Amino acid sequence: MQKSKKIVLVGHFGVGKTSLIRRFVKNEFSNNYQVTIGVHITKKEVQIEADKSINLIIWDLEGTDDLRTMRPSYLMGSHGAIFVFDVSRPSTFQNLNEDLALVNDRLNKVPLLVVGNKIDLVNKEDLDSLLQEHQISNHFLTSAKEGTAVDSLFTKMAKMVYGHD
Amino acid sequence: MAMIEKYKTEHLAKNFQFVLVDKQGNVAESDNTLFNIDVDSQIQDWHPFFENFSDLLSSFKDKLHIDCVHLDSGNTQYITDIDFEKKLDGMLIKVHNLTSYYDNFQTMAQSRNESAIASELIIIKNKEFEERERFKNQFIQNFSHELRNPMMSMMSITNLLAKTDLTPSQKQLLEYVQEGNEHLKLLLEDILSISMISTGRLKLENKTFNLHKLFDLLRFTYANKAKANGLKFDAKIDARLPETAEGDRLRLYQVLTNLLDNALKYTDAGSITFTATLNQKWGNKMNVRFEISDTGKGISTENQKMIFESFSQLNHTNEKDGVGLGLAIVNGLVKLMGSEIKLTSEIDKGSMFYFDLNLKTPITQIKKAPLQKTIKSFAQKSKAAMEKQKILLVEDDERIQTILLKTLIDSGNYHVDIINDGGKVLEQVLDTDYDLIIMDVHLPNTTGNQLARLIRDFPIKKIKNVPIIGITADAFEDNIKGYLKDGMNTILSKPFSDSQLTAAINKYIK
Repeated sequence: MQKSKKIVLVGHFGVGKTSLIRRFVKNEFSNNYQVTIGVHITKKEVQIEADKSINLIIWDLEGTDDLRTMRPSYLMGSHGAIFVFDVSRPSTFQNLNEDLALVNDRLNKVPLLVVGNKIDLVNKEDLDSLLQEHQISNHFLTSAKEGTAVDSLFTKMAKMVYGHD
Repeated sequence: MAMIEKYKTEHLAKNFQFVLVDKQGNVAESDNTLFNIDVDSQIQDWHPFFENFSDLLSSFKDKLHIDCVHLDSGNTQYITDIDFEKKLDGMLIKVHNLTSYYDNFQTMAQSRNESAIASELIIIKNKEFEERERFKNQFIQNFSHELRNPMMSMMSITNLLAKTDLTPSQKQLLEYVQEGNEHLKLLLEDILSISMISTGRLKLENKTFNLHKLFDLLRFTYANKAKANGLKFDAKIDARLPETAEGDRLRLYQVLTNLLDNALKYTDAGSITFTATLNQKWGNKMNVRFEISDTGKGISTENQKMIFESFSQLNHTNEKDGVGLGLAIVNGLVKLMGSEIKLTSEIDKGSMFYFDLNLKTPITQIKKAPLQKTIKSFAQKSKAAMEKQKILLVEDDERIQTILLKTLIDSGNYHVDIINDGGKVLEQVLDTDYDLIIMDVHLPNTTGNQLARLIRDFPIKKIKNVPIIGITADAFEDNIKGYLKDGMNTILSKPFSDSQLTAAINKYIK
């Protein structure tokens, strides 16, 4: 039977979690910001190697500026997590280390990827100094708008959760 | 009662779907109120929410409630709360349709999040704008400061060249160069002024000055300038205005001349009028209205709003030469003086700029120097000039050295020694009695102001009291004040002219 793994996308509101999923699953993008409330769930099969694939069950959680208010019922049974922040809005990453510690704690240290989205809105030099200044590592830099690094992000996640229970 | 129960049951029945599944996740029963779910199908095949059903089953004890789950199947979409209840042979799933409730919630969240994001972005944009402005002003300030040294060389060399034997056509060409230099110097000063105002580095002086002398100077200068342009100039000075006032004479003069120059620039025919009126006087304070009106081409209402803004926005409104910094400087300086520049104007009729300024009227009046004393000091100076005065020139820039040396030697009054290295100055002043030291502030191995401090601490009176003229490319008032405090008698800021140098020397050589 095809393996299925649940991954959750968490982060502040307006950082582009829904847009990343939409780009990955449907290869679409819309500039209209539509707030997510509750949770949306989508499924996508990801080819890891020539003869290896996996179903990612992607839970798109509503964003919050206080991650402590995340509903525990949404996180149950997660195999992996993607923390998304918006590189153009410092409030979404200024407490990154605390946010990540909280996510790790709530999710029992499942594989976690940190993603700076909306890189199309800032220039490269500013972005580099921003990452350095906030000591952000283990990251993906994506643009849901332009599709930059979106597929590789989810493929990486798929590989990470494939052999992980 | 029975009716209420009936309605309630109808309502609940419409908004709830019950599904029974066995422990393997096979659908045993479904009432299909909201969605069509086939009996005997796998619940996880129906919607990915139920994926990993066995994991889900083991993750709670008896009951589990999950809020606000978006469920969709085909064209049907609901926002639901879902309850799971473990039963003997499997699990009861209750799906509660709360779409309209959550839709309202969504609308509120949408407007809250949008406004939070918008206000954060505005703050970021403002910060970026302020940083850019600060960088721009700092850059301009540093850049214009760096230009002063080469400007000084250019001006001095052309002035020296003008004193040599030249053919009439060479003289004409040189005059163009001198005019260009003068224009560049004024521009540089304007740019420096505006950036110093913008960065808050410009500090106002508060000194007593002769108000009427200032008016006389303006009257004399602008009557001539106006005449040269075929215009009439009129100065209406309120006779009730006191002789002296306390404030920043230099900056007031800069504001008034900028406004008058502006009037000259944009008036082709007619007249320019300068008016100073005493609005009010109380105790040792007064309020004076300064007004400059012209019969020029006038300024459109649209342009009136931006005419005082920084030069970057003014460029396209300028039809005449120059970058149009004058009014931006006026605006900044008048604000710094605690007032506001105002303007009334009509196209083809003319413009009137005015501002009301608070000034102090000092109780002690400026006493004019008695004629006798002036004659005596002049006689002393003439006698002293019979012998050559000894000047020590401390300057490491060879071009400036050459220029200064030539100016000093050409006058025929001075014997000049030159030192490049600041470290040798003290040795030199111990060896030779100098009448004056001219010293660059920035020197190799030490600084001019440090040396001035050491000289002032010397136990030998003759050395201790030697006048020191500092020269510097530094235009920052705070730094200049510091050099004076260190013991320099006066500071000449580069670029300076021959006559400024001569005037400074004459002031200190007895």
